[in-house]
Amino acid sequence: MSGATHPLVCRDLSISFGGVKAVQGVSLALPTGKVLALVGPNGAGKTTLFNLITGNLRADAGEATLDDESLIGLKPWQVARRGVARSFQDLRLFTHMTVRENALAATERGSWFWQTGDAKARAARVEAALEATGLSSLAESRAVDLAYAERKFLSMARILAAEARIWLLDEPASGLDLASRIRFAALLRAATARSVTICLIEHNLDVVAELADEIAFLDRGVVLAVGEPQAILRDKALAAIYFGERVA
Amino acid sequence: MLFLQLLLGGLQTGALYALTACGFALIFGATKVFHFAHGASFTLAGYLFLLMWNNGYPAWLGVLAAILVATGFGVAMERFVYRPIQRHEGGFFTVFVAAFGVSLVVQNLVGMWAGRGFVVADSTLSRATEVLPEVFLAPVFWVSLAVAAVLFLALGLFLTRHPAGVALRALAQNSDLIRAYGLSSHRLSLLAFALGSALAAPAAVLTAITTGMNEAVGHHVMLISMAATIVGGVGSLKGAALAGLSLGVAESVVLNFADPQWAEAASFVVLFGFILFRPSGLFGHAVAR
Amino acid sequence: MTAYLANLATLAAIFGILAATLNVAVGYAGIFSVAHAVFFGLGAYAGAQLALLLVPDALLAMLVAALVAGGLSLCLALPALRVRGEYFVAASLGLQMMATTLFTEAKGLTGGMGGLVGIPRPMVLGFEVPTLALALAALVLILLATWLMARGSFGRTLRAIRDAESAAEALGKNINAAKALAVAFACAGAGVAGALFALHMSFVNVESFTLDQSVLVMAMVIVGGTGTLWGPLLGAVLLLSLPAGLSFLPFIPPTEIGAVQQIIYGAAMTLLMIFRPAGLLGDMRTGRKA
Repeated sequence: MSGATHPLVCRDLSISFGGVKAVQGVSLALPTGKVLALVGPNGAGKTTLFNLITGNLRADAGEATLDDESLIGLKPWQVARRGVARSFQDLRLFTHMTVRENALAATERGSWFWQTGDAKARAARVEAALEATGLSSLAESRAVDLAYAERKFLSMARILAAEARIWLLDEPASGLDLASRIRFAALLRAATARSVTICLIEHNLDVVAELADEIAFLDRGVVLAVGEPQAILRDKALAAIYFGERVA
Repeated sequence: MLFLQLLLGGLQTGALYALTACGFALIFGATKVFHFAHGASFTLAGYLFLLMWNNGYPAWLGVLAAILVATGFGVAMERFVYRPIQRHEGGFFTVFVAAFGVSLVVQNLVGMWAGRGFVVADSTLSRATEVLPEVFLAPVFWVSLAVAAVLFLALGLFLTRHPAGVALRALAQNSDLIRAYGLSSHRLSLLAFALGSALAAPAAVLTAITTGMNEAVGHHVMLISMAATIVGGVGSLKGAALAGLSLGVAESVVLNFADPQWAEAASFVVLFGFILFRPSGLFGHAVAR
Repeated sequence: MTAYLANLATLAAIFGILAATLNVAVGYAGIFSVAHAVFFGLGAYAGAQLALLLVPDALLAMLVAALVAGGLSLCLALPALRVRGEYFVAASLGLQMMATTLFTEAKGLTGGMGGLVGIPRPMVLGFEVPTLALALAALVLILLATWLMARGSFGRTLRAIRDAESAAEALGKNINAAKALAVAFACAGAGVAGALFALHMSFVNVESFTLDQSVLVMAMVIVGGTGTLWGPLLGAVLLLSLPAGLSFLPFIPPTEIGAVQQIIYGAAMTLLMIFRPAGLLGDMRTGRKA
């Protein structure tokens, strides 16, 4: 469960907030070039798991490794520079910057007054990311002026431009109409074809069934099951937890 | 005996700081507005009292007028400055700058109208007598402590017993909660401004009787209130009051060891240290970051 | 009259530098410092002492001033990295109040209330030069630097941090480094302005480095427009010509000019925040969230 086949591995990750065990003993491995979907009722600890991997939260116990190198104790920007990109449920776009600047900012890693590396290659990556997300014609619009679906795609464009190997996507498809969802699915397939490893949190089970190669089912901070989408989605006990909690 | 004298003087100043700081903390806690013009309420109240006192009006009328002008000013700020800014989603700095502008205007208008420098309301309350060898106390000392004690008691009762007070405290803890229960956060925030500003008035009147007012006093009082609110822990009125009291005592007792110009700086060293090392303050729960 | 105008122009250039550099912190990095006069003062004292004790070389004075102010900018960077919003404003206010006391009391370094007197005329490479030329040259260079920075990757990083700090961090940006660098740049610039001020006035004391001065510079940035290139300069010129303009009005007694000036810019700050938060030159669309 490591190295070439599974670049990102979590072992026994745990964290609790004031007595509430948000994530307890979670072990997961993301297979290279595949899409793993995290499914589970609200409050299952899915976003918390992302925060543990990216260094936004410090795990009480357990380990997260990227290519067998520990991520624990690294700052979020250090994790990002090792090739892990994430999106946020509330997007967190650079609202007063243009679409192009949003993507450009994702390609720039240096914190000094200048950037090292090939500026032309960065610009080309930005244009490619905007093209792939269908935002080329809106390149000079400010993020705050975009429509909902466009904002979601801008959040994806930033990740594309960042050229990460691992994508952690927090509800990237929620609220998208059918046409946008098809475009979104194409984006993910193109990425996995380039061996990008993806983990996504998603509530819409149709989207999960369509995109995921593997599903991990979380409830109350624990992984209840990991496996093939069909097997998980047909599991009556899991469905009861999922929909039962959703109704209540 | 100098130390005891300074300590007692510090207690009086501290009690008045505590009142003003508590008003600021109440407003900040309940509305999340950094009411930087709070000191202007203090200045206006103090000067109006002075004006009426010097023109021979009875003291109670002066106090009433002081409370009214402080409250009115606070409510007007909420209504005409902060709410319009929040309506177009102005950030905290927009609010801060607007409030700072108003306090500059008030300070300079008062300075032009009443003259610059200290003015004291001469009263028998401020005639000191020797209570211990070399320790002098004026009746205003006891009045200040009593007023602070009574007001804190009343405020505590209001916030725990009266439905509006309970709602105010809830608002300080979680503004979403209030909206969920359908309480009008508009009216509550007006109430917070009225109540918080009114608390500055008695402190201003007592200051006018004791040490006197100058046009820049609001500025100083404001900085102290802000420091006390942060040191005490945002959201904790008790913390703000206690920190205000301590800052007043510290400011006075420092005189025993150092020159007066270090007194104010001492408060800011404390403030700066707290922000760096314990931004949640003494009694706060939420961490600023 | 020429001397009067040259003096006003030199001061405008010096305050233009102050406002432009404060704008880097406020307008781009979202670090709302109310302590800019502290670094102005540090630069002024450093430049003045250098000219008094060693050589009155203007370039060296500016360099030393920039190093001193830029180095001590850590005092401002530390709270900027730990807290934000109201807390940071409070911290910078605290820093300003402490510094004012220190400037007054450290008489050996600053001359206290009496200040430092008899600062020699500035020289460059052994020739005496008018401070106006120096100040204008420094202003142009600093405006150029801010312009390059604002349109380059560093400006983008700062604006990204201002808009969504956590997202910027998730994209690999070292937020602490970027913020500290922005603060150091802003403070070093204020130091340069301070050295120029000391050489121009040939006398400095603490009264130029108080909270009132910090607020004046802040007002310049805000009136002109935060996050714009020319706004701070416009604000500096407007607010500096205010007292000069007021002195022509016969119905204002000369003793009240200071107060009237403060009333005007206080009112201007409030009204702008209510009706045009982006400032005079600001883009209305971007000014909403300062």
